[in-house]
Amino acid sequence: MTILTRLEQWRDSSTITSEQYTFLAGLSHGEPFSLFLELNILLYIGIFAFIVGLGWTVSTWSQKLGDVLVLAILSALISACFWYCFSRAPAWSSAETPAPSLIFDYVLYLGSLIWSLELAYIENRFQLLSGQWDLYLLVTACLFFFLTYRFDNRFVLSLALSALAGWFGLNISHWPSHQDATYRRYAMLYSFLVIVAGAALQQRGVKPHFFGTYLNVAANVLFWALLSGVFNREGHFVWLLFLLAACAASLAWGITRRQFPFVAYAAVYGYIGVSAILLRVLNNATAALSYFVFTGIAMLVMLILIARRFGREN
Amino acid sequence: MRAYSAASEETVRTRNLLKDWAGEGFLTQAQYHQMEQETGCELRRTNIFLRLVLFLFTLIIVGAAAALIFVILQPTNQQTIGILLLIFSGICYAAAEQAVSQARLYRYGIEESLAVCSVAFLCAGLQVSLFSGPSYSTAPPEAEFLVPAAGAIASLWLWQRFGFHYAFLAAMIFVLWLPGYWTSSQMARHLIVATLYATGLFVVVTARPRYRLTYRNDEYSIAEALLWLGIYLAINLPFSPVNLLVHWWGAPPNSIAFSRPFYLVTWVVTWCLPPVVLARGLRGKDRAVIVVGIAIAILTLVSNKSYLGWNRNSWDPMLLGALLIGVAVFTRRWLANGPSGIRCGFTAQRLSGKDKSWMNIGATAFGLGSQNASILSPQGNGSDVHFGGGDSGGGGASTKF
Repeated sequence: MTILTRLEQWRDSSTITSEQYTFLAGLSHGEPFSLFLELNILLYIGIFAFIVGLGWTVSTWSQKLGDVLVLAILSALISACFWYCFSRAPAWSSAETPAPSLIFDYVLYLGSLIWSLELAYIENRFQLLSGQWDLYLLVTACLFFFLTYRFDNRFVLSLALSALAGWFGLNISHWPSHQDATYRRYAMLYSFLVIVAGAALQQRGVKPHFFGTYLNVAANVLFWALLSGVFNREGHFVWLLFLLAACAASLAWGITRRQFPFVAYAAVYGYIGVSAILLRVLNNATAALSYFVFTGIAMLVMLILIARRFGREN
Repeated sequence: MRAYSAASEETVRTRNLLKDWAGEGFLTQAQYHQMEQETGCELRRTNIFLRLVLFLFTLIIVGAAAALIFVILQPTNQQTIGILLLIFSGICYAAAEQAVSQARLYRYGIEESLAVCSVAFLCAGLQVSLFSGPSYSTAPPEAEFLVPAAGAIASLWLWQRFGFHYAFLAAMIFVLWLPGYWTSSQMARHLIVATLYATGLFVVVTARPRYRLTYRNDEYSIAEALLWLGIYLAINLPFSPVNLLVHWWGAPPNSIAFSRPFYLVTWVVTWCLPPVVLARGLRGKDRAVIVVGIAIAILTLVSNKSYLGWNRNSWDPMLLGALLIGVAVFTRRWLANGPSGIRCGFTAQRLSGKDKSWMNIGATAFGLGSQNASILSPQGNGSDVHFGGGDSGGGGASTKF
């Protein structure tokens, strides 16, 4: 039975109105056809290409153009972006606020990225805060958090969270080479702070829809930090206990809130951590492969039970 | 041929649409719950996250079990290894069929992983049993194309039987390897790949109309879009994956030379294809084809200077960005000015709850991913200013300023 036949049945049984039927029957075969997603993708690629080109142009031509002109152009662009956003933004609300226009979020995002570019340029050319470069990150994170909450923008929230991570000294590309305890502590502190801040804001009803982003970023940083401890040669059992506790919390949260990414985090990170410890004592291939077969089956059974009990639908 | 009944898959499509419409507020929660209950489906489904994890763990189990059997049996003969791999392939495929027919799994991760493993084992088994070890000297080397050919056919079978979109992509990737066994001419390789994809496109376009308003429309839409993309990439010489394969096989970058007429013809075709694909996508209101049309139009703009051997300017990406932003804003305004925000059956308004979810996920992921964008310098020549680092700071600052 096709969707059109079903819609007719629902209309005849008064489950839906005739107007709904006409509208939904049209939608089911693309009448009207929404280009919303395509236009957003075009805008994102456009902004991304523009900022890459701007960065490339600034780095290539800065000496010929001179610092004053470069800074004037960048400042003018930032001012134009932020003026556009402040002049067109609706009144602030603590609830989720839709953007006033399709391009609004992207203008704010562009302004934020140009801000980053200008700060990088200033520090590179003048070393105003040499030795304390991380203050730029803190200031930038604060500005981005303000913009995020003023304009309800997820792009800028991600930028803010990554700027804050940078201030904590977390650097994704250098992660494998930073196995030291200090680095791990900062990562855990960052995760804790982000979770607490996100939860507090959600409790107070301030843009509660951002909480998922906070949790996802914090959970991944936390799991990476704990896993790096598990892979340590010394003291790995303590880290394994922390990892298992985090996995249990993530699993419980994921199941109770129907947030299945957290179930996936618990399963994957937990499995990697436990396997890393157990494989140290399994020093022949047969035992190691048998381990993967049996634990894999155990994990599969557990996940099927969870999927059947809680995660039936897409 | 199909592993699932048409009624079941149509019901799955209906449930997806209902969820979409409820998410966007076109149905009340009460209506949604009643309609959902009336569209009961016997297929077992799960959400995308559990599906991915189930896929991963099934892959671990199958891989470890196969390796364990090799460790225990310790076969030394290449043909024995090959036959064992072929047996694994058969077992995996039978298990996938069982998972679908008995457990009624539908996009559950497990049956997908088993099916994917069956193709991988099939290719490895054929390669090892026919073309490795002592038997290799007896088998003609040109017959080695049988391995990717078998992979392509098996992948197409999975696509037809189970409807896995990625199986069609896998079949196209297998096809890329075929001409390497037939000819050493680069021009011929590009032409063969493009011809094979064009043949596939003809078949798909011919078969599509009968599935237009059914659950299989999406499947054929994605297949058509992938084939258009494949033809374009086979023809666009600077970006072509056929060239990538040659480089992977160890040829130096400048070793690929094409005749000038062929080169110019492909350049002309790269400019002709995007409007054709976009027009077809827009006329058929086919999202996948529209997206591919946009993507290849952007690729044509990006690759044009490489094609013609012109120097790139640092402001080229800015111009491209401004053009894309301009097109998006103009299109949005043009659509919004139509009656009820609709023109020619198109609208810029969001009509699907799924679009909102994708936007939220995309905004978070792209926001985190684009942290370096403002400080990257693709070709920082002519200046001593280098903006590096900033790997994690959204502010673009890092120790590597």
